[in-house]
Amino acid sequence: MQLRPMATVLALAILATLSARSVPVAAAGDTILFGAPVSLTGNLTKEGHLTQEGYELWKNYINAHGGIKVAGKSYKVDIKYYDDESKNDTSAQLAERLIDQDHVNFLLGPYGSGTSFTVAGIAERKKIPMVEGNGAAERIFNQGFKYTFGVLSPARRYLEGILALGKAQKPAAQTVAITAASDAFSQEVAQGAAAWATANGMKVVYSNKYPDTATDVSSIISALKQTNPDIILNAGHLQDALLVQKGLREQNVMAKIYGYSVGPDTPDFATTLGNDANDVMGGAQWSESVKYHGDPGFIRTAPEYEKAIEDTYHHHADYHNAESTAACLAFQYAIERAGSLDPEKVRDALVTLDVTTFFGIIKFDSRGLNVYKPMVVNQIQKGRLLTVWPIGLAAAKVIYPAPPWGQR
Amino acid sequence: MTARASARRIGLGGITGNPIAFACVLGVMALLLAVPSLHNDYLQVVFRNILMYAAMAYGWNLIGGYTGYVSFGNVTFFGLGAYCAAVLSSHGVQNLFAYVLVAMAVAALFAVVVGLPVLRLRGPYFGIATLGIGLAVGDIVENLDALGGSSGIRLQQVDEAHFAVYYYAMWLVALGAMLATYAIARSKLGYAFVAIRENEDAAAVLGISATRYKITAWAISAMMAGAAGAIFAPANGFIDPSITFATDSNVFPIAMTILGGIGTVAGPFIGALLLAGANELLQRYFVSGHTLFFGAMIVLIVLLLPRGLVWLFGLRGGARAWLRSVQAYKA
Amino acid sequence: MHLVAQDLVNGILAGGIFAVVALGFSLVWGIMNIINLAHGAFIMLGAYATYQLTTSFGLDPFLTLPVSFVLLFALGYLIQRFLINWVARAPILVTFLLTFGLSLLIVNIALIVWSPDTRGVHPPYAGTNFSLGDVTVPWVKLYTLVAALLITGLMQLWLTRSRTGRAIRATSMDIGAAQLSGVRVSQIYAVVFGLGAGLAGVAGTLLSLSYSLTPNMGDPFLIKGFVVCVLGGLGSVQGALIGGLTYGIVEAFATQIDVTIGTQHISGSGLQDAIALVVLLIVLIVRPRGIMGRAVA
Repeated sequence: MQLRPMATVLALAILATLSARSVPVAAAGDTILFGAPVSLTGNLTKEGHLTQEGYELWKNYINAHGGIKVAGKSYKVDIKYYDDESKNDTSAQLAERLIDQDHVNFLLGPYGSGTSFTVAGIAERKKIPMVEGNGAAERIFNQGFKYTFGVLSPARRYLEGILALGKAQKPAAQTVAITAASDAFSQEVAQGAAAWATANGMKVVYSNKYPDTATDVSSIISALKQTNPDIILNAGHLQDALLVQKGLREQNVMAKIYGYSVGPDTPDFATTLGNDANDVMGGAQWSESVKYHGDPGFIRTAPEYEKAIEDTYHHHADYHNAESTAACLAFQYAIERAGSLDPEKVRDALVTLDVTTFFGIIKFDSRGLNVYKPMVVNQIQKGRLLTVWPIGLAAAKVIYPAPPWGQR
Repeated sequence: MTARASARRIGLGGITGNPIAFACVLGVMALLLAVPSLHNDYLQVVFRNILMYAAMAYGWNLIGGYTGYVSFGNVTFFGLGAYCAAVLSSHGVQNLFAYVLVAMAVAALFAVVVGLPVLRLRGPYFGIATLGIGLAVGDIVENLDALGGSSGIRLQQVDEAHFAVYYYAMWLVALGAMLATYAIARSKLGYAFVAIRENEDAAAVLGISATRYKITAWAISAMMAGAAGAIFAPANGFIDPSITFATDSNVFPIAMTILGGIGTVAGPFIGALLLAGANELLQRYFVSGHTLFFGAMIVLIVLLLPRGLVWLFGLRGGARAWLRSVQAYKA
Repeated sequence: MHLVAQDLVNGILAGGIFAVVALGFSLVWGIMNIINLAHGAFIMLGAYATYQLTTSFGLDPFLTLPVSFVLLFALGYLIQRFLINWVARAPILVTFLLTFGLSLLIVNIALIVWSPDTRGVHPPYAGTNFSLGDVTVPWVKLYTLVAALLITGLMQLWLTRSRTGRAIRATSMDIGAAQLSGVRVSQIYAVVFGLGAGLAGVAGTLLSLSYSLTPNMGDPFLIKGFVVCVLGGLGSVQGALIGGLTYGIVEAFATQIDVTIGTQHISGSGLQDAIALVVLLIVLIVRPRGIMGRAVA
């Protein structure tokens, strides 16, 4: 019997895996190494790539402008990525690998609330600070974690702006229908919207959910149509936002406002739907028309950031780009203020951070969540995405109520 | 068909598979005990996952490999086991034995209750019914607020210093699954399973009560998957339906068993080691293309080793015999 | 009450697509005993083929139906002839694994070629609809249903009347006898697999009008295809149609369940997989071979 081939294979397999530990990709010398598990494959691929773009843009800018200064010495920045395949569990394991094998100094967050949640657990256990810009679910921050910080506004805020806008119009919008995907983030968005509506005198006339893998939402739309809402809200992801908008068109559902938590801000939404995408609103973490003037150390205004993304990646800046870059900025300012690369000192600096950036104010509440930055409402007008709310940041007047289908 | 040909048909070296392969596997298991002493948390997670998949593969091997009832829903038991541990944890119980015992009991009970109607179906109908059960249970858990819904449940964990306890626990689960498979394969139970696989109706004529044995096989397979889930949950610290009822967790153990050698005792472990190990290495060296290479690797292995890796242990006649095996299944 | 009528219409319209998705899968499984896990990837390729043709040449999506059929048929034929054929007589699980690997390959290559951007096919008549009393019927979905019915009808005709079709049915009943009658089995296998892929391509084309395109888009349809296939009965064309319509209608009505017990909201829509599968189990218990199923080998 030939022992050799099989035993050799087995031995090689084990040796290979074990050898993985003997190559430290250390943050040696004068480089700060960040680790980032992102969804380069799987159903959040597009968003994962946008996240990576945001991180890379920051890294290249910083390295071209003298790096990060820590106690007088200049450090270059590098980011190590792994593909978490859009899976919660894989993201956490990769975070562990980044810390144990690649010896990263700090963690940048993955895309999505589910993945951010699991990675936060790892950051907590290993006591390595993580700043994320793409996981807005509040439950991440309700766990008492001390090492996780989120630069983006919480999930429940996503659709509040649209409701506030609707209420402020004349005649005011009063009834709301909400459909949501069944993942945790979308559910939080829906619950936040429902709570705000009820607390502000609006009536929720329909509320339902559908699985992430839904291939058809016609029946939900049929039921929704019967309740005749003024505002139709959807809390989901791009794929189902498209399904819902198509379905609303197909069944001739007329409402004054159509609002989505995810969708309108992605160029794919408008290109896929053509004219049927017009006048749709989306809650966004950022848009190119916000008027913040950021602290020195990076690109200071939104239009300049938009141009940088446009020049490098040849597409409009998506708020996923911006919020990812903002996460890096939080580290940048915190490290400089801490004057050290020690995880504890940087963590403490993050706790007391208070800066203004092109993205908005970055400041964390006691849980690590940035409740200080407002969300904006964007509306697609004639194929262009324009900020329409809050009034102070608006670049255009809102189109209200939405004209009938076929006239947009 | 002669008795010898029959024996050869149902598996190399009888239904336990190649003894040298099994000895190698036991040797590797002994080596794996040393992993925590390397003080590399990440490697510990990698091998712990391999052990977890091995346990699940053994479970599937019992119902799919030995009994011939290809189940696409064994992930249900894994998920049930994980949620058992989570519920116990949220009530203050942190004892791993308790997790495993409760998980095995619940999984076995579920297997028996669901198995009674479902095991009456044959072939693809059984397979899809089990797939359906997995999807349905995942759906239901996702909609149950009492179980955390889509947000999942956090579990209490031991502190960093004692973290290796999860590794050893998973090791014990995998070993248990392996030894149980060996014991069953050599017992009357094992032969009954194989008889059902080869010709269920003839087996019935010979007095083998197919229903009883099928349900037993499924219940034991459920217990293996459930135990793996019960250790996975606290080790991970967090579970949600997308993690515990994922389709991947369905396909991987099946793929591992097939690649390793279906219906053998060494096969599932070898397959788990190979596939999970390869996945890790590919992830490391091909950050953007790893899934592509993983797919290519599976295609190549299936074409080049259609009988599974365990077959390599029994290879006599070198390259020519191997070439013949590659052609063996051509239409 | 008109909600019931609307749901029925929604269900039938959705069901047509499920039927076409399941048809190719069912034929390959029923006749060749191969579970083709790459079926979802083939669907995706058909959808992208339509996308390319409509954007590059301005063709109407329905006109791309024959093209995506031919393209995917060729792909399927080649894959069977030069890859799967090596393990055609292996236990079903070996081919299962092979097609699993293939699907990973195809999806990831698509990811490289088309990037993860979401795309859509948006003809000028998209979204338009007409009313039948209180029920709104979208034109696109109606055209899709008609196309689905035509395709299943054509398939059934071809399988029963044409020479190759009869050879295929003979092979599935008894390989030995078929060979004795002069049928070249490996050729037939390649044709059947090609057919399955071609039908997947057609399903992809039809889907591209209602569903947005990403390299992963095939996954939910593969799983539903599994269920519909078995629901209707393996290897049966009428089975795929009936299974698809049944599934579509069940899903549509299940969505209307909307009750709250205490604080627990029970949403039929959220539980639609569970409900559809309970229906499947009930059907299988009453008719273990599916609604129209033949004997399993």
